[in-house]
Parts: sequence; structure tokens; C-alpha cells
Amino acid sequence: MSNGGLVFLSATELASKIRDKDVSPVEAVEAYLERIAQIDPKLNAYITVLADEALAEARQSESDIASGKNNGPLHGVPVGIKDQIHTKGIRTTDASKIRADFVPDTDAAVVEGLKRSGAIILGKLNMTEFAMGDPITSAFGVTRNPWDLERNPGTSSAGSGAATASFMCATSLGEDTGGSVRGPAANCGLVGIRPSWGRVSRFGVDGASWSLDTIGPISRTVEDCAVTLGAIAGRDPRDPWTWDVPVPDYRAALTGDVSALKIGLVKEFLDPDVLGVTKPVRQGVLDAAQLLAGLGAEVEEVSLPLAPISGIASRIISSVERTSLRPEWLRERPQDFHHNTRIAFTAGELIPSQIYYKAQKLRALVRKQTLDALERYDVLAMPIDSEPATIMDMRPGVRSKEAAIQALRRGSYRGLFSMVSGPALSVCCGFTSDGEGKLPLALQLAGHPFDEATVLNVAHAYQQNTAWHLERPPI
Amino acid sequence: MSDLNNDEIRALAKAVGLEILDSDITDVNYSLNAIIEAMDGVDIEGLNAVEPLAIILQNGEAQS
Repeated sequence: MSNGGLVFLSATELASKIRDKDVSPVEAVEAYLERIAQIDPKLNAYITVLADEALAEARQSESDIASGKNNGPLHGVPVGIKDQIHTKGIRTTDASKIRADFVPDTDAAVVEGLKRSGAIILGKLNMTEFAMGDPITSAFGVTRNPWDLERNPGTSSAGSGAATASFMCATSLGEDTGGSVRGPAANCGLVGIRPSWGRVSRFGVDGASWSLDTIGPISRTVEDCAVTLGAIAGRDPRDPWTWDVPVPDYRAALTGDVSALKIGLVKEFLDPDVLGVTKPVRQGVLDAAQLLAGLGAEVEEVSLPLAPISGIASRIISSVERTSLRPEWLRERPQDFHHNTRIAFTAGELIPSQIYYKAQKLRALVRKQTLDALERYDVLAMPIDSEPATIMDMRPGVRSKEAAIQALRRGSYRGLFSMVSGPALSVCCGFTSDGEGKLPLALQLAGHPFDEATVLNVAHAYQQNTAWHLERPPI
Repeated sequence: MSDLNNDEIRALAKAVGLEILDSDITDVNYSLNAIIEAMDGVDIEGLNAVEPLAIILQNGEAQS
């Protein structure tokens, strides 16, 4: 295999070849650096490429292998990190002018976890400014979708999605508040899991919304996703909201056997009259459900009447929490925000207390209704959005009040499980084949709090019986 | 509920020490009124009696 071909291996395949000394970590890093040099000028997925640092790490990794030392399941594997996650001695910008020169003096807990597993940090990935949902706000330029450069790669972990899909890293980390891991995974044809709230430490991650933020992997295969999650999960005293519950061997849980599982298809998200789910998205989810039924899972429709309002409630909660993190920036440096971010932060500051309080009440109801449903099902299945990746509107500004309301409602597909606090995963379930061109479709699978293993296993069973994850974007 | 107008929004902002740029006021108006209208449209019986969930707890308390 040529060095250039190394980038097309999955992370676990690459780790296996490194472990067997068929490939050296230096060769792997060099292949990825070459790929970045070739592709990233078109996509703008990286803010900082750590070429020298990654090569130095790779040489150490190679030396360790030669002396019989293997640091873990990601030994020698090049990984990309969203630029909201602190890296010691490496700037961490939040894709903002305000943080452009911020250099943390510690690694985030998740970076420590990756390094303990042997991963090599290849660079810091672009995102939307301060992890807001608008795709055009990064102070380092817009990230493009490798499937169609004009379309949204998914936000806010846009670079994590674009880089992983275009083989510019083996696997990556994003941060999911209202869908920022699942969205890029969906729009870029990947697998991304939002872990349970409290499963992964947020220490050293610039907050977007303290009660909703989670850090999760975006990968090309479910197996890669499972291994990456295993590297970062677990109790961390520096984040008091992480839970002291065992972290299973996620990879070992990928049996592919779903015959004893019961899967609920969320009715409201599949009804075109509720949130406007489009035909290809709906059909993609139904076809995936049928495939899982064919593998032995019991699949039936379940109603969650409150699901369609979860986007409104989750967005209000995140808007208020987000603006409370560093309120001085909006007062002292308003000109340093992108216009759209400044508007969102300003509106968040002005939300009346009773509106915020009502959102928290809705969160309690939505969560209870969904957890009650999960008493009857192992996993819930649904779309991740009403339509595939849309064309980015590069004009700053809010078009109308009605457009803003529509955006709030549409956030319900992802906001539901942001509020439930259980794990939710997006996996590619096909491609459009109409006039829009070839765009990824996605299935969202969600489960009981702290039961990432079952969600991953259902996705794995699906992926093992389809070939969508082997498709490559035309970049 | 009628929309907040620009003067009312500026007054709200002043109360929290924010000055809204002229170039921003229309977009803030759209965004804030969208949030208020969307939430105003949510009418669920018994909602007032629900205790709000300020934080997710799995087993009762966070460990520290």
C-alpha cells in the first residue's frame, strides 16, 4: 500500500497495521499531512495543523512500538480536535477573534484520554464561532462540505466532520450542545455520537452551554467511534458532573446482534406535517428501520408528542447559558464577534426569565416522556434533520422572525436528546439521488442514559449490513 | 402577545448593561421576538405545576 492509501484505512485498521509493524506512525502522519496539504485549501477544515509536533509524536510512537510498548487502541493514529478543546501549548481559538491568541497551559481531559490511548494530535479543527449553529461565523473562514462545497458541513463541529469525511484525520472529536457532533456526522456521511451527559469530562473544554455540552467522537466507522469514545469516557474529578459508572469496552459490545432489541420509531419526526421531514430523509430512516427489523430487531412506531417542541426549549436554555459564560466579551469587544454570533448572544441576554423558566419546565416534561418511552424500548430511531445538508447562505443577518421560528422548531430533531441527557448517534443511511445531487442521509439512534454500548451496537449492525460508509466524497 | 419593538428591546438591553448597535437592532428584534412567540405558542396543560429541571441528575446528586 502506498503511503497515500493509508489515509483511507479506518482508524482501527490503521492501529492494527501499526501494532503489527506493517505501517509506522511516521508514515501515517506523513500521509495525513500530505492529504491535508492537498485537500484542506478547498475545505478549510483545520485552523492549526501541528505538523512538527505530530511528526515528533509519531517518531516517539514508532520508537515505542519498536521496543514492544503499545500505548493503547489508538497507538500512532492521527486524530483531529475541535478548536474548542484545550491543547497544552497550542492555541485554542473557538474560531473567534477574541480567543485567537489563547494558549492553554493544560490539555483538556479528553485530549489526555486520547494521548493515553496512543493517539497523535494532528491539529485543531475549524468550527463555528463559539460553537454557535450558524455555518458562516468562523473567524478563520467557512468550512466546506466535502460532498458539495456549497452546502453546510454541519455545525458547530464543522471541521471535525469535513476533515474526517475527506480523510484528513483518522477520527476526530467534536462537542455537542444541540447537535454539534450529530449534525456534522449527518451532513458529511459519518458516524458521530453525543454521549450521555456526565459520561465524558468537560474539563478543559470551552463551554457553550454547561447543562447541555458533551464531547463526542466523529468517525468514519462505528468501530472507530466506539474506540474513540472509549478513550475519552469516564469519571474525572475535575468535572464534578461526570459520573462514577463503569465504562464498558465499547468495541467488544459491537456484536452486531440486535435480535433481542426493541426499537421505537419516533412518529412525530417522521410525519411530514409536523416538522416538514422531506421524502428522502423519511425514506432513508424507514429503510434503515426495515433493515434492522430484518436482522431480528422488533421495530414499531412510538409517539412522543412533546418531541417537536424540544428544539425551542433546548435553544432557549443554551442561548441563556451560553451568554452567561463570558458576558464581558459582548460588552467590551462586540466588534470582534461575527455579526450573526453577536445577534445570537445579544438575544440570549435579553430572554425574559419566565421564558427561560418555561423552557426548563418543558425540559423536565420532554425528558420524562422520552425516558418513559425508553422503558419499553432499547433504542429510539428518528431522523437527525428534516432535510440533507442545505446550501449555505453566506449573507450575514436574520432573514425574518418567521425564519428564526422555523429554525428553532427544526432544532427539535437534535434538541430532544440534548435535553434527555442520554446518548444519541448519527449514522449515514444512504444518499440522495434526485436533483440535489449525492448528499448523505442520516439515521439518529438514541438510548438510555449511559447505555452508549447498545446504541453503538445497533449502528454497527446497520453499518455491517450496508456499504454507505465506504462511499467517498468527490473531493 | 404583540412583538417587542426596537425601543422596548433597547430598554431591556440597557437594564443588563448592553448597548445594541443600530446595525444589529432589526436582527435582534427578529431573533428575540421569534423566541418569545415560539414559546408563547407552547401551551401544555399543567405546565405551571411542573418543577423545572435546572440540571440533569442520574442518581440524585453529583459527586464532588
